[in-house]
Amino acid sequence: MKHIIYLLLIILVPNLISCAGDSQCTQSKYVMLEAGLYHVSYNDITKTYTTSTLTIDSLTVQGIKRDTVTGKEFPVDSLLYNNSKSVSKIFLPLNKSKLANESKFTITFNNTIDTITIFHTNHDDYLSLECGCIKTHSIDTVSTTNHFIDSVRIVIHNVNTTNAEHIHIYN
Amino acid sequence: MLIQQMRSISIFIISLFCCFIAIQLNAQEKKAKTDLAKTLLLNGVTVQADLASLASSFLTNGQNYSMEGSVQVDLKHKYYPIFELGFGGANKVTTDNVGFKTNGLFGRLGVDINLISQKKDAKPTNNLFLAGVRLGMTSFAYNISNLQITDGYWGGTEIINYPNQLSTKIWFEVVVGVHVEIIKNIYMGWTVRNKNLISQDVAGQPAPWYIPGFGLNNGTNWGVSYTLGYHF
Repeated sequence: MKHIIYLLLIILVPNLISCAGDSQCTQSKYVMLEAGLYHVSYNDITKTYTTSTLTIDSLTVQGIKRDTVTGKEFPVDSLLYNNSKSVSKIFLPLNKSKLANESKFTITFNNTIDTITIFHTNHDDYLSLECGCIKTHSIDTVSTTNHFIDSVRIVIHNVNTTNAEHIHIYN
Repeated sequence: MLIQQMRSISIFIISLFCCFIAIQLNAQEKKAKTDLAKTLLLNGVTVQADLASLASSFLTNGQNYSMEGSVQVDLKHKYYPIFELGFGGANKVTTDNVGFKTNGLFGRLGVDINLISQKKDAKPTNNLFLAGVRLGMTSFAYNISNLQITDGYWGGTEIINYPNQLSTKIWFEVVVGVHVEIIKNIYMGWTVRNKNLISQDVAGQPAPWYIPGFGLNNGTNWGVSYTLGYHF
């Protein structure tokens, strides 16, 4: 009987200690749209298209915000990329606001500026009491100007904590 | 010759008498055994209150609380079917000021088996070493409040609340414990139990932080009870 009581104490004491205090959030809350840069070249001899990863020497990215009352557009204070070197992937934060259904960015590829607009629907995604909620997005459409960018293809519509390339930007 | 015949007759009569006595004794013994079997089938009911859950509620300053009692039947000093009923809840605020509130009734149904073998023809011991299983269930409402989402780039903060969320949870438990008669008909008992949730939450939906009767909403929990009971 004594052994049983000791066994119970061994199991009980760590159990009670573990109940004390707040636990920390260990889940990822990082939600970013990932865009891969690609170059498409046409081979006249074989008459085929070849896609290769594009690396930009100098890249600058800034968000364009729309005033909900006046509808006027203005740049967000901070730059996401500021003359960044050797970039082949861009990570873009989509607007989390309940009212927002688009996120607009100006991207400067070396010296050529394009504007890309991602139309999306936001979702509340509950993680836990410790981690709280995150916003995830589903991409509806993407529109772009075509100074440097040739086209854009949506690869994965759902933008969440999973690490994946959601759109391809072709030059 | 006559003496020999009389002797044979008297031996026959004595044998017949002995047979009759033996049959009578056997019949009485069978009756006694049947009576004994009848008393052994149901050996009373123990009503118990769990003091460990009350102590635990005190230790967590009411962040989560629980109180429970049980009714256990003694069948043949071997099988102990049990019904546990309780009330539990939580009132938690995280360091980020996210609030969680719930309370509700829960019940568990199960059976324990006494692992101490009872010696034949000996008075059965009232000190038991039990192992058993439980199936637990609760249906409850809960609120999650003040979940903040701040947009670090585009600006703005949104506060999300999930009021009056309803949930039903089912789990099973594996239990071991001891049960000792400390004074006549007064029993003290310990159990340690491993709880395993059967019902799963839907990913992305607001899940309860605490489940009455189960504890924190992890897939598996450990629980302890310290019971004091009266045997009727």
